[in-house]
Amino acid sequence: MPAAPSAPVPAPSARPPRLPRRLRRPLLTALILGALIVVSAHLCQVRLDDLPGNLAKGFEVLRFFFPPDWSSLRELAGPALVTLLLAALATPLGVILSLFFGLAGARNLAPNWLRTISRTLIGVERALPEIIVLLLLVAALGVGPFPGVIALAIGSVGMLGKLFADAIEEVDPKVLESVACVGATRWQVIRHAVLPEVMPAFLANAIFRFEVNIRASVLLGAVGAGGIGLELSKAMSLLEYERAMMAVLVTLLLVFGAERISDFLRAKVMDGGRLA
Amino acid sequence: MLHVENLRKILPDGKVLLDGVSLRLERGEFVGVLGASGAGKSLTLRCILGLTKADGGSATLHSEACGGRTYDLLACKGREQRNCRRRMGVIFQGFNLVKRLRVIDNVMIGRLARIHPLRSWLYGFTDAEAVEALEALRRVKMDTYADRVTGSLSGGEMQRVAIARAIFQKPAIYLADEPIASLDPSNSLAIMKLLAPLARETPVIGVFHQPEMTARFCTRVVAIKKGRVVYDGDPRLSHDQLQEIYGDELMQVLRPPASEPSPAAHADVDDTDDVPLLAKLAA
Amino acid sequence: MSSAVATAGLVAAPAYVPPSAQFRRRLLWLGGLVAFLVLGGIYLKFKPWMLFTDFHHLVRLGQEMIPPNVALLWNKPALFKTIGETVAMSFLGTLVGGAAAFALAFVASRNTTPHPVVRAITRLFFGLERATPNFVVLLILFIAFGYGPFAAMIALAIGSVGLFGKLFADAIEQVDPCPCESVASVGATRLQVIRYAIIPQVLPSVVANGFYAFDVNLRAAIALGVYGGGGIGFELQLAMKVLRYPDVLALILFIIVLITVMERVSDLIRRRMLSGSDSLR
Repeated sequence: MPAAPSAPVPAPSARPPRLPRRLRRPLLTALILGALIVVSAHLCQVRLDDLPGNLAKGFEVLRFFFPPDWSSLRELAGPALVTLLLAALATPLGVILSLFFGLAGARNLAPNWLRTISRTLIGVERALPEIIVLLLLVAALGVGPFPGVIALAIGSVGMLGKLFADAIEEVDPKVLESVACVGATRWQVIRHAVLPEVMPAFLANAIFRFEVNIRASVLLGAVGAGGIGLELSKAMSLLEYERAMMAVLVTLLLVFGAERISDFLRAKVMDGGRLA
Repeated sequence: MLHVENLRKILPDGKVLLDGVSLRLERGEFVGVLGASGAGKSLTLRCILGLTKADGGSATLHSEACGGRTYDLLACKGREQRNCRRRMGVIFQGFNLVKRLRVIDNVMIGRLARIHPLRSWLYGFTDAEAVEALEALRRVKMDTYADRVTGSLSGGEMQRVAIARAIFQKPAIYLADEPIASLDPSNSLAIMKLLAPLARETPVIGVFHQPEMTARFCTRVVAIKKGRVVYDGDPRLSHDQLQEIYGDELMQVLRPPASEPSPAAHADVDDTDDVPLLAKLAA
Repeated sequence: MSSAVATAGLVAAPAYVPPSAQFRRRLLWLGGLVAFLVLGGIYLKFKPWMLFTDFHHLVRLGQEMIPPNVALLWNKPALFKTIGETVAMSFLGTLVGGAAAFALAFVASRNTTPHPVVRAITRLFFGLERATPNFVVLLILFIAFGYGPFAAMIALAIGSVGLFGKLFADAIEQVDPCPCESVASVGATRLQVIRYAIIPQVLPSVVANGFYAFDVNLRAAIALGVYGGGGIGFELQLAMKVLRYPDVLALILFIIVLITVMERVSDLIRRRMLSGSDSLR
């Protein structure tokens, strides 16, 4: 790259090397992006020529889904409750686990070796989609709510454990020092200084995680955790589309409901602001 | 009460921070520690508290209030160290309160060392302790704030809460590490007026940056320079003595902060005032 | 619950919640939560002791998986194609979904929408999108497009529209109105205002969210693969079905590495792009 002659007075239009340089970067970006798109499209087996036909077919298929089979609502209530309970059980379990991982993963509370172990485990959990944990657990323990709850709980630790550990590390060390100066033990410092400072934000995140877990538990249901996800995939494979549509509607209701509940709880936690 | 002998602190690179500091604190005293920045005032307090490990010397605390026992402050560890710390009420420059807790909960933290850890985890404090904490808050005129979230208070208010915590702790001595350094003049004055009567019951040793404050409220002044005690005696220091203690920093210490209200403004806080001392010193 | 109690015998009785009341309140919350969990657990027939009674099954599975068959990496070149498929799915899904979300976001934000009703409808659409698990979309798409990564890619794109449409629209609603007004005062059309005043302001947030979307979609792509969407997720599910556990563990390790590496890479590129965002405008 030839160095542009440095002019003491800035005169952008009078400097010839400037224009190609300005263009080079967007051009390069576009080129790389284009190449990536072409390669990806090839890998994804995108066939644009079939697209209109397929889309038409898709809309045709959508017709089968209507009207939803309202009579199945009663049968679907049970599975919907199972999905809800899976998430409701997994979230507190995940919260408790992340409390331990968070405390062990915070620089200001845990020794270095413990922190490294905890942080590594959290990192691995974050990189491992819940569904894989579930598949493994199902392979070992068989189908049922237990693998589902454990998979969701472990998935929650990946997110909540990290947030909790990071939040603890941000607590002002002087505050901890001042409580220790009263003669408090390390665990008392945790109980009376660390937890009050980080709990509200942590609980807000946990409640948000409940929302995520509801979605995930629908997804996991189809692989063996049971619930509405299983009903949905069963109905699809039996070509009972009206019933499947009903299951979709129930899922929507569940997710929207969870969102409302979690908004309400979050507002309450943040409003309290203190948990003593 | 508190006896510090020949306290030494040396950095690994050989720099001497405390070069044999000795000082005493006896019943009824309010000792002000003065010195330029980096002289080792706060470090001395940190060593006494066991927050920084001292490299030599001794520090002992003896009091009838703690059953006539003598605590070796430098050698203790673990449970014994917590016992030592329990006898010393500490007030920090930055208040260092738990901001998300209520004021009264912050005060009750002062008792943590006296209750069983299991109780503090599972139950917390009792109502009787809360009433007592309220009593401590009343002494610093903060009792109407008991249910407020601490983070919403102003600096001066937080420092009063911190003092209430120290009072509630019922210590044998109070240590104050620059308690008024981040407060405005009228709040500083108010805090000093709280500490002075407190010192008549339980001795106070405090690090200060305002010679006019120590001259007015303290019973004795100790000056530290470059890790050594260079003055110990009457709180009213002459201009030459201050020059000796502070060196080039003198004018910074004597120059009143820009935000200082006019004498008329704090005439209502102040009954009789000896501000002229400052004027005399600066002249 | 009696909350504020005045302490007796005081002149100015300050109100505060005494510790005992606080404890009772906390106990009540905790008790309620525990009762709910126990009842829920009973309804689900959730047996936590399975972790201990059936622990030998887990151990057996672990034993069967070790050592991981890392040799897959060189014995089975097709593996790279499946990994590529997964990455391609999430990349294209993010791109297509992001582009659609970007376009729709202007319709869905208060300051650029053609009509408030249109905005409300678009917002509702985003909400429905977000609520629908993307695997439901995938199951429907399978009917139209058949099994394979293409359907999964479209499912991811549709899922991204819901999530990022909302984020983008919120970003557009938060732009500083001054530049828009100054551009408009020169006599620019609505589209010109968007191009010269709004897009430069929201671009950094769009880029950042786009990379976040890619990370989310990569995980989702693996999950969708398990349902028949192709890619490494599908490969994993196949290995599971035929009980080739050493392959399973190897694939899991690859997935962990893949997600960790892609996270780092996207983080790097994002930081590069945002630091040079002037040239992006």
